[in-house]
Amino acid sequence: MENVLKPLLDSANSIILGKEQQLKLAVCCLLAKGHLLIEDIPGVGKTTLSHTLARLLGLNYQRIQFTSDILPADIIGASIFDVENARFEFHPGPLFNQMILADEINRSTPKAQSALLEAMEEHQVTVEGKTYDLPRPFFVIATQNPSHQIGTFPLPESQLDRFLMRIELGYPDKRAERKLLVGRHRYSLIEELSVQLEPKQLANIQQQVTEVHASSALLDYLQDLIAYTRESTDYHCGLSPRAGLALLTAAKAWTYMDGRNAVLPDDIQAVLPSVAGHRLRSGSTDSDSIVAPLLNNVAVS
Amino acid sequence: MVLDVNQRILVFLLVSIGLITLPHINHMPMTVFSFFSLLLIWRFVCVWKTNYLPNKIIILLLVIVAVVLLYTQHKGFLGRDAGTNLFVTALGLKLLEIKKERDLYLISYLAFIVASTQFLYQQSILMAGYILFVCCVLIATLVSINSQKAATVSALKTATLIIFQALPISIVLFVLFPRVEAPRWMLFNHQNTAISGLSDSLEPGSISRLGLSDELVFRVKFAGKIPPPNQRYWRGPVFSWTNGKRWTESKNLFFKKNQHKVTYTGESYQYTLMMEPQDKRWVFALDMPSLYPDSVTKNALYQLINKDNPGKRAAYKITSFSQYNTGDITKTERKDNLQLPSDPSEKIIHLVTQLQGFEAPAERFIQSVLSHFKNENFYYTLTPPLMEENPIETFLFDTRYGFCSHYATAFVYLMRVAGLPARVVAGYQGGEHNKVGGFLEVRQANAHAWAEVWLKNKGWTRFDPTAAIAPERVEQDVNIDLQIATGLVNFSPANINVSRALSWMKSAKQLWSGIDYSWQRWVINYSTVNQSKFLSSLGINNISSMVQWLVASIALITCILAWTIFKTRQTKIAEELILYQRYCKKLARAGVYKKAGETAINFSIRVQHLRPDIAEEVKKITAIYIRLRYEQNLAKEDFILLKNKVASFKA
Amino acid sequence: MSLSLKQRFHRSRFIKGEKATDKSITLSHRRIFILPTQRGLGFVILITLLLLIAFVYNNNMVYLLAFILASVFFVTILHSFKSLAGLVLTQGHSQAVFSGEAAGFDIVINNPNNVQRFNLQASLDRTVNFTLVEQEKKSITLYAVTQQRGWHNIDTVTLSSTYPLGLFRAWSPLRFAAKTLVYPKPNIEEIPFPETEVDQAQEQSPTLANKKTKGSDDFYGLKEYQAGDPIKHIHWKAFAKGQGLFSKQYGGESLVELWLNYDQTPGNNDEQRLSQLCRWVIDAENAGLLYGFTIPGVKLEPGYGKAHYEKCLQALALF
Repeated sequence: MENVLKPLLDSANSIILGKEQQLKLAVCCLLAKGHLLIEDIPGVGKTTLSHTLARLLGLNYQRIQFTSDILPADIIGASIFDVENARFEFHPGPLFNQMILADEINRSTPKAQSALLEAMEEHQVTVEGKTYDLPRPFFVIATQNPSHQIGTFPLPESQLDRFLMRIELGYPDKRAERKLLVGRHRYSLIEELSVQLEPKQLANIQQQVTEVHASSALLDYLQDLIAYTRESTDYHCGLSPRAGLALLTAAKAWTYMDGRNAVLPDDIQAVLPSVAGHRLRSGSTDSDSIVAPLLNNVAVS
Repeated sequence: MVLDVNQRILVFLLVSIGLITLPHINHMPMTVFSFFSLLLIWRFVCVWKTNYLPNKIIILLLVIVAVVLLYTQHKGFLGRDAGTNLFVTALGLKLLEIKKERDLYLISYLAFIVASTQFLYQQSILMAGYILFVCCVLIATLVSINSQKAATVSALKTATLIIFQALPISIVLFVLFPRVEAPRWMLFNHQNTAISGLSDSLEPGSISRLGLSDELVFRVKFAGKIPPPNQRYWRGPVFSWTNGKRWTESKNLFFKKNQHKVTYTGESYQYTLMMEPQDKRWVFALDMPSLYPDSVTKNALYQLINKDNPGKRAAYKITSFSQYNTGDITKTERKDNLQLPSDPSEKIIHLVTQLQGFEAPAERFIQSVLSHFKNENFYYTLTPPLMEENPIETFLFDTRYGFCSHYATAFVYLMRVAGLPARVVAGYQGGEHNKVGGFLEVRQANAHAWAEVWLKNKGWTRFDPTAAIAPERVEQDVNIDLQIATGLVNFSPANINVSRALSWMKSAKQLWSGIDYSWQRWVINYSTVNQSKFLSSLGINNISSMVQWLVASIALITCILAWTIFKTRQTKIAEELILYQRYCKKLARAGVYKKAGETAINFSIRVQHLRPDIAEEVKKITAIYIRLRYEQNLAKEDFILLKNKVASFKA
Repeated sequence: MSLSLKQRFHRSRFIKGEKATDKSITLSHRRIFILPTQRGLGFVILITLLLLIAFVYNNNMVYLLAFILASVFFVTILHSFKSLAGLVLTQGHSQAVFSGEAAGFDIVINNPNNVQRFNLQASLDRTVNFTLVEQEKKSITLYAVTQQRGWHNIDTVTLSSTYPLGLFRAWSPLRFAAKTLVYPKPNIEEIPFPETEVDQAQEQSPTLANKKTKGSDDFYGLKEYQAGDPIKHIHWKAFAKGQGLFSKQYGGESLVELWLNYDQTPGNNDEQRLSQLCRWVIDAENAGLLYGFTIPGVKLEPGYGKAHYEKCLQALALF
């Protein structure tokens, strides 16, 4: 296992400097067949990250820049009347790619947002009564500006739930930033990257992730965590069953990446801020402090 | 059929009420019982068809019908029968008017009262078991009202559990709760509650029925000397006419008019006789009364008869003499006292001949009959076998187990066959000396029957054949416990000829009658006297120690109950977790505490950092624990390893 | 924790419960009180009656029955205690409401033991009946009618049970530190939104256009005609070719920015104005408008969505 994923992570780390943990989470999200939401200010490397991953995995990559005037048809595609054939023809939009970077998703109107998110959930698009399947694997990395910025439409909770993880990149540390300043332009480096994981291998790994063992003791802990969010006054509303499932899948992927075959509470704790942070509403906004009461108060045995 | 919760509760309640009233079918007037059954069935139908429920006017009419019915049956509402009918009818009427939960409770409480009235008619162990069962069902009804669940079985289970938990305390209360005999003025109706003692006829078993009753019949306070036990014969009805089975008073009324001159000799006893309320007019004077107050008369059978209402307590000042001569008897009297139902059988004639009945003087014959009883295998028992046909012969030649009435009647019969005028006298014999009050207490258990033979120059002379066979019966007081201990009261029909194949049935019967007897003895007849006797054998002599015992034993039982009720079954904790917790405890004692949300690995890292000296052990224990707890394939060796590691772990 | 005698027998403990707490409360002998109910007193009368019958008729079996019932009565006390003992109650979420509505407080009741808890009753203003099976955790919502806007503290919650026989009522008064926000009562009258000064709106958010027409800016596709679509949107060319009726679809959101100003709100007093403002906030949110909000001391930038909506209402509630 490790010999498959390690070169992937190493190559990624050589492009995006000083973000090992975030990269690992991003790959973990990918292995768990989930979509990723990156929330941060512009310019910290969100686009670079997604581009790098697409490159390393050999996936078709498409970036969609969301603006306030983007329409659903711009994303999905539209039926356009073909005069020669005298009939409507569907022209697939940028969504029909294996890896999508939905940049600044919260700049667009809710209508456009929901068009994307519905496609993410159902892995297919329906236009004028006809259903079109999306390619597989299908992986969306959406980026979001912090919600307090001007001119944003924050994603509603129901939409947030569709992202398996939300991560924050943050500024690079001093050494990484220096390296960045000294080194070559990132895009030229990305161009040089070679595919580390064939789509077939990826599908294989995704299958293996589901087979990771979760003992009943672990499930007890997981359920205690979920119950805590539903009962405690620390949170406005609790985690949904879908969130619970997401937590388990993400933890399994994390376990797999660590080269083990049984999920430990540590794995759950590792993915908890990214999986639960955006699904819970509490006084604070950053994921770590949101899940802090959970990590501290729910007993693990 | 699907019933909602309330319907189920109703069905439950109605069934239990049906069960409770069912045994009353024996002692309620048919009209009242049918009226109740009608109401019950009506209500049962209404469980499904609620629009059949009567409106207010119909209920009022029903109430009027009920009142009329009750009044015509009983001319009142007080007393056992009337009271029972009243409660049953009230229960039936209340059934038709269930509006609120409160009504269900009222009905349940009425049902409990009706259940208790059952005991006024029958107190057998079977009835007690039945009522206990019915109470279980009633309590289960209350449980289902309060649990809002329609789970019949679980409600019954809970009710049974509660009753079983209640039994120890109720037994303690039963034993220790002070029993006071009710003052008679409290009785609603004397007719029903007055002592039913000796009857006006003598049949086999009519006295043994009284043999275990501790009920007080009368008290005697002597002014001077007290007669010795074997002189304490309290004279009651005299039976001279027989059909071979049943003995009754002579029908020749002229006896009562014809008073003989009696000459009194010997010791004289002056005493006050205090009769408890009776259902007969008989006053049981010491044999033979000479002076008595005007409120009583003495009949020709030398029995004192009360002129007033016998249902009241009454005291009589009487003087009696131990020796007396009644003089001659008239022809009619002689004829009456030689009466035989039919010609005696060959066997009897043979026996009388053998005992020299036809040739020897009367007194010698009497002696030989008495010694016949004594020397042959005759047994005295309170529970003789049933002798349906020709009881005297059966008793004399076959069973030879008998009670005082058997001996007395057989004796009189033999006398008459030999041509000696003889009769049976019923009454009481003995009496317990109450040291506190200084008087004798005579109870139903003292009921007795003896014989009188007319002898020339001596007049009527008392002979007690029971004394020959069981002298302790006469010389000591009746001690029921002692009687059991010495086998006087035995429960077997003692029929030796019973085939062996039936022996298990016999032993079952014996066992059953043993249980039944103990029930009679210890539960039904557990009265003031029994209680004080029993308690003083435990060293409880006065009220205050009684209360102390009561409180102490209830407290003890409560503690035990609370322990059994509150002990919660712990959910099973995985063994590796127990071991790990033990390890954490050891660390905690050393001052390293595991935080609630800290995983085993994080904790181990922290401990390794804090205590490098035990780092290796901590690492190993954590690794094994995690393997056991979270991994798929458990290895038994790992478990043993963890056990050993934790055991030897020192922080 | 031990209580002094005076504290222990203070009357309010039996009715109002101990100090309010936001932690979980485990019911123990300190918090559970038991008294016979009316039915229980009736049962005592029944026992007395039976004893009387037993006494008068000197009947040992009736005595025994009376004693059994008396013991049942006694044993029931223990069972009553058991019906509540060990339950763990924790306050849960509470939803904000408009004044006059019933505020809901969630209480989480955990039964950690292996016994069933029948017919528990939790009451605040109204009573909720429920049953807990072994080791069940249940969240119940209790409602309290609210009168005034602002913070509303939860009253004493009484958890009680008459199980098993209804002869005793075991109860435990519990006070939680939970509170809920009560928004002003929205005005019933429909008063149109105040005129928005376009200049101000554009000044506030220059990136957003202030367009009042809906659905008529950008063409983005066709859909099958449905009754009710405007006639001028019909794709006549396609119809003429006999391909059926299609409607042209136009995208774009109307991004009206609404400013709700306290000073411009009709009303005789504070409460009426707040009530009207509350009504506008609700309407604006439902209409999907962007709305900003000023009341003395508080100014909220225009926005929309649940969080913004709640922020506005909270500001009104706590004004």
